[in-house]
Formats: sequence, structure tokens, C-alpha cells
Amino acid sequence: MEAIQQIIKSTKAYYCLECGKCTSVCPISRREPAYSPRLTVERAMWGEGEELLTDALLWSCLTCQHCSERCPSDVYYAEFIRDLRALARGAGEQGLCSHGEAIQTWMRMMASPDLKQNRLKWLDEDLKVCTLQQALRQAQEGPQDTANSDIVYFVGCLPYYDVLFTKIGAQGVEIAQSAVRVLNRLGIEPIILENERCCGHDLLWEGDVTNFRKLAELNVAMLQATGAKRIITACPECYRTLSVDYPEYVGSLGMEVVHISQLLAERLVGSWKLEVGSWKKVTYQDPCRLGRFMGVYEEPRQVISALGLELVEMNHSGKNALCCGTNCWTNCGAINKQIQVDRLREARATGAELLVTACAKCQIHFKCALDDARLDQEIGIEIRDLVTLVDAALAQEEGGSKA
Amino acid sequence: MAETEPRVVVFTCNWSAYGALETAGSQRLAYPANVRPIRVICLGRLHPGLILKAFELGADGVLLLGCPPGECYYEFGNERAEELFKETRAIAHLLGIEDERLMLDWVGAGEGEAFVQKVTEFYRQATCWRDL
Repeated sequence: MEAIQQIIKSTKAYYCLECGKCTSVCPISRREPAYSPRLTVERAMWGEGEELLTDALLWSCLTCQHCSERCPSDVYYAEFIRDLRALARGAGEQGLCSHGEAIQTWMRMMASPDLKQNRLKWLDEDLKVCTLQQALRQAQEGPQDTANSDIVYFVGCLPYYDVLFTKIGAQGVEIAQSAVRVLNRLGIEPIILENERCCGHDLLWEGDVTNFRKLAELNVAMLQATGAKRIITACPECYRTLSVDYPEYVGSLGMEVVHISQLLAERLVGSWKLEVGSWKKVTYQDPCRLGRFMGVYEEPRQVISALGLELVEMNHSGKNALCCGTNCWTNCGAINKQIQVDRLREARATGAELLVTACAKCQIHFKCALDDARLDQEIGIEIRDLVTLVDAALAQEEGGSKA
Repeated sequence: MAETEPRVVVFTCNWSAYGALETAGSQRLAYPANVRPIRVICLGRLHPGLILKAFELGADGVLLLGCPPGECYYEFGNERAEELFKETRAIAHLLGIEDERLMLDWVGAGEGEAFVQKVTEFYRQATCWRDL
């Protein structure tokens, strides 16, 4: 099949040396012996590619890129799987999904150009933002009074996740509220799009390229209409998708995309000394999109230190960090749950009382694992998003010395 | 040709609402042809994904019809239905789908007339949303 040959070529799978380092670090292979990244690549090379497309294991990969980090030939395995999934979908495969496909369904519904969402209820009065209308006026008439309105805060799916996951204790719109409050404290009144769409990350990595493109095109048009120069996200997946995948699939945004931890590291470190919480030791979960995909390892750690917290690293951290166990709301089962529990035990073993996350999904997945009361009792670790910690620290500081 | 008639999906539970539908049938009571009943064993078996899917596929309104309070065949299935209904409505609201386009109601197994009246009224309202 020519399309498979093309994927082998574009992801450099033909460089595979059959060493099996990918399989030895793959979190899925550790629990599911039938799954092997090495063998998957081999089978494609042997001409069994078409069988791969109908194999249920095609949907097991977490696309966490742990394998590529170890690969001596730099095979892009995550992209290899992503493109095979697109091919499989094209051939009529449905893929696997969790949550009764509710999440993928709302993502696809967002691909409709006529959608008028009610997604800004979380914007409390104390949060200062610039609406699209204000931004448009600014683009036409030059700068207005509002400060720094050439910055967009791209919220992502937080208002939607809030509906489904706050019941398991995950932070939902709280993360978005904290992000805006922190930006305000830095003198930024970000532009917020009232009809922002899902960035499309999950659809892309599940092989639904058609709907990904639609979402991307809608977002690019709205973002460019603001005339902004910079986009800030508090979600590693939006960060990766907007900065790498949009240019590749629908053309350049012409804007700089940054993850909020990068901005915070730039502005916080050295200038502020913040105190937060009563935790003595904390540990940090590197999200795969922020770490291995985008190379942002240091900034979140700098922010944690600036918060006056002692960071203790897990056995697997940085480039070697273990995935939170699930990706793109696909294929969540006993194996994924086990990966989450293993990771949480590793976090607890550091002696940390708090696990800091920088990705809403990592938090949702861990909180879901801890929804089991016995495990929660055994592991007993708090989980908070980095931005909400910074927000809490700034609130404490308020009234004290002004930054 | 543009479709002018609204499309309405009615999820009925097997025991009460579908019973009511059958009763209506045996009594030769008519309801609009564009009302599409989908029988599930219990409304508690639904999921936000299934309801959203109906909207994704072009439903103008989705009505969930189950057992009257306290009379669920499975004791608490209709309580589960209420939980997932609220969750789905919250998501639908974010997507800009008006609250009244997703409703939860109940009807007893023998109440053929009530069934017809409820779905016809819902259908009539759906006609108004279509005109908006």
C-alpha cells in the first residue's frame, strides 16, 4: 500500500534498527505484552501494514513519545501511529474512545462554522479581559486604553471538562480563572475569544484529520482577526497544536505561541518571592506535550522554586517522565489505570505531599485513578495545577509588598 | 430541497415510555412522523455522548422519556437519567444549544394519550426553534 510506504518514509520508520528500546520503555508494553512499538514498525516494513490498520492495538499507543526519546534512529513513532490512524479511519475504522464518545462528539460539533457558544460563564467580574470586539476595534483604530491587548489567552476545552470532571475533584475552569488573574497581575488584559474552538489536538492524534482541519481553520481565522502578536495557553496540548500542527496543516498563524509556564518563568523568577501552602515537598509531572514534544522542562520547575516550594524529582522525570496513562480520550482501560497508579505511587515515593501538574488532562487522569477510595487512602497525594498555585501565592502576597 | 420539518429524537425507556408508545399504537393515536423514538432498556443506560450524537446528526430537539419518579423498573435508573440529563444539558448549553431543546420527562406505561400529547407538544416547539 503506497500510503503506508509514504508514512514509513515521512516518519523515518525505515531507519529502525530493531533494537527494541522503544518497547522496553513503552508504558503500554510494560503492562500489555502483546503490544510492541518495535514489532508494529517491523510489521509495517514487512508489508503487513494493512493488517495493522484493523488491529485494535493501533489505538493503544499513548503517543507519549517516550519511545522516540530512546530511539537511536530518531524514528517518529507517535507520528507514525497518528498517520496510520488517519489511514485506518479513512478505511472505515472507528477507533476506540472513552466517555461514550461525548468528548469527540462536542469536538466535531465545534467544527460547525455557525456555532454560537456560551463558554465564558467562568469569567468572574474581577477578571479583566478584552473581548474580540474590543480587539477588532483596536486592530482598526490603533491601541486603546486597555493594556497589552495584543495577547490572546487561548482557553481550550476547560469549560467543557469542568462539566464532566469536577465531580472527581479535578480543577476545571478554576485553571482558566487563575490564568487570567495571574496575567492581570502581570499587567496583561488578554483577548479571549467567545467562540474559540477546541484546538483539535485529540482529533488529530486519533486520525480524524478532516475535522481537525476544520477546527484549525476556524481558530486561525478568529485568532488572526484579533491582530494579536502572542498567544498564551495554559494547556500543553493547545500549545503544541497551535505552534507546530497548525502551521503544518493549515498554514502559519504569524503569532508567537507560548505556554504560560514560560511566561511565568520569564516574569516571576528572581523578581518575586512567593509563599504558598503548607506543603514541604512537591513533585512535578512533565506533560508529554510540554516536555518531550516541545522541550519545555525547566520553566515549570523554575516557577515551582519561585513559589518557595522544595521540588523533589520522581525516578522518571524530564525526558524520561512517565505518561499520565491516557491520551486523546481514547482506549482507557485496566492497563491505563495501572499506568496511572504506578505513576502516582512513584510520586508518593518521593515523599512529596503535592503533585504539581501543568496539563489539565494529566490532572483529570490522576484524579480519576484516585477516585478509588482505597487508593486515595494509600497514595494520599494532593494534585494541583501550576497556574492555580501561582494564583494562590499572588493572592497571599496581595496587601504585602507590591511587585 | 431544504428540509423544513423539524427532526425530533425521543429516547424511550423499555418499560414505561415505550409501553406508552405501544398503548398509543393499539389505540390508533397518531403523532408526527418526524418524531423518531429510540428504545433503550432504561434511560439510566444513556450517556451524554449518545444524546450529543443526536444533536450532531441534526436533531432539532431531544426528549428523554422514562419511568415516573419512584416507579423505575430498575429502582433508580430514572435518578441516573436525571444526573446524566443535567450533565448533558450543561455541555449542550456551552455549545449554544438552548435548554428547552433537551428535555427530560416521564410517562406511565398505560398512558398512550399522554405519550402522544407530550411528543406532539415537544415537536410543536421544535417547529418554533427551526423558524428562529
